[in-house]
Amino acid sequence: MSRDSVGRVFRPAVIVAALFALSALVVGQGLTVQDFKSNRPTPRMSNGKPDLSGYWKGTTDTKPGGNIGKDLPGWKLPLTPAGEAALKHNLTATIDPESLCIIGGIPRHNASGLPFEVLQGQNKIAFLYWYSYFRLIPIDPKRKHSDDPDPSFFGEELGRWEGDTLVIDSIGFKDEKVWIDENANPHSDALHVVERWTRPDADHIHVETLIDDPKFYTKPFTYSRTWVLGKPDEEIQEYACSENNVDAANLGFGPGPIRPDGTRGYIDPAPLPPPLPKTTK
Amino acid sequence: MKTLILSAWILALSSGATLLAHHSFAAEFDGSKAIRLNGTLAKVEWTNPHIYFYIDVKDESGNVVRWTCESGAPGALSRRGWKRGDLKLGDPIVVDGYRAKNGSNMVDARRVTLADGRIVSGASAGDGGPQ
Repeated sequence: MSRDSVGRVFRPAVIVAALFALSALVVGQGLTVQDFKSNRPTPRMSNGKPDLSGYWKGTTDTKPGGNIGKDLPGWKLPLTPAGEAALKHNLTATIDPESLCIIGGIPRHNASGLPFEVLQGQNKIAFLYWYSYFRLIPIDPKRKHSDDPDPSFFGEELGRWEGDTLVIDSIGFKDEKVWIDENANPHSDALHVVERWTRPDADHIHVETLIDDPKFYTKPFTYSRTWVLGKPDEEIQEYACSENNVDAANLGFGPGPIRPDGTRGYIDPAPLPPPLPKTTK
Repeated sequence: MKTLILSAWILALSSGATLLAHHSFAAEFDGSKAIRLNGTLAKVEWTNPHIYFYIDVKDESGNVVRWTCESGAPGALSRRGWKRGDLKLGDPIVVDGYRAKNGSNMVDARRVTLADGRIVSGASAGDGGPQ
């Protein structure tokens, strides 16, 4: 066992095992980065590092969408008893914070169906999200985590390069009004997230995310995903969540039923009436 | 033309290209309560995170009842070809959707037949709702 910079137990053996298991799963699903073809090279900054800038869109290969456990067998998250209780609370006593215009945070934004945009500088990188949220991350290997960071939805984020991989290490998360994904799974204030971002070619961006939350999960687990580059004219636009959130007063607790395929929604909804016959106008 | 628009509607929902769900469909709407509303457009709010339009519908007794219709975000809808200018007060409009779970006169307007006969998708793709 070793301890990280804030003195919490880090479990390298478990983490390596989790990454290995994840690799096998991803290969099994045909979702490796190599499966996405591109003949354009990775763009680079003047310092030689990959430039992650771009408008990034999810693909239908990400299944089940919106589920932070998508890379685990049966999408079964390793919840502790406290985690089970927190999940029950989220499902039965909380309205989706994002639908109430509360920041989704990390790792939820990485599990979202929403596209996002990256703007990268030499020493900082910005992730811009729909709902007009952003996170701004310093890229500085000398910076260390604070002893007691103010809790936030994106956490205290520190960026550094490991070769061509941008590593974002985050602690200091909120423990209330947060869902870790669209399915209302929980996280606590002990959450530690390590994102490893790569751009293997011009048209794809990929993240390997390590999620460690010893309060709510018995062991760390991983979430990996690839996005594709949007068209040149696609970009984040104004999306004022609180402008006219009429439905906030009509929303029930939790996301509703979770289907056997790990996504939220009804299994067998009633069909809509058939489209109207064609008319001459 | 209607066939083309309907095809685009299906494509928009199946491609995953416009995933702008603000909340889970099942958190607000009842998947077992599909409904068709024939009404007259009374009010439009072309706003985020959803557009709302309000239609006056005659019930079985002949009384006029106002319904609130929720669709996707303006950006997602306009990219599908449904623009603010397509909704004119007083227009006849047909809404196919699902009733709110709380029993109020509110629907998720997933398919809308405009006054000119065009069929547009109002669905928030990615919300887990019926596709």
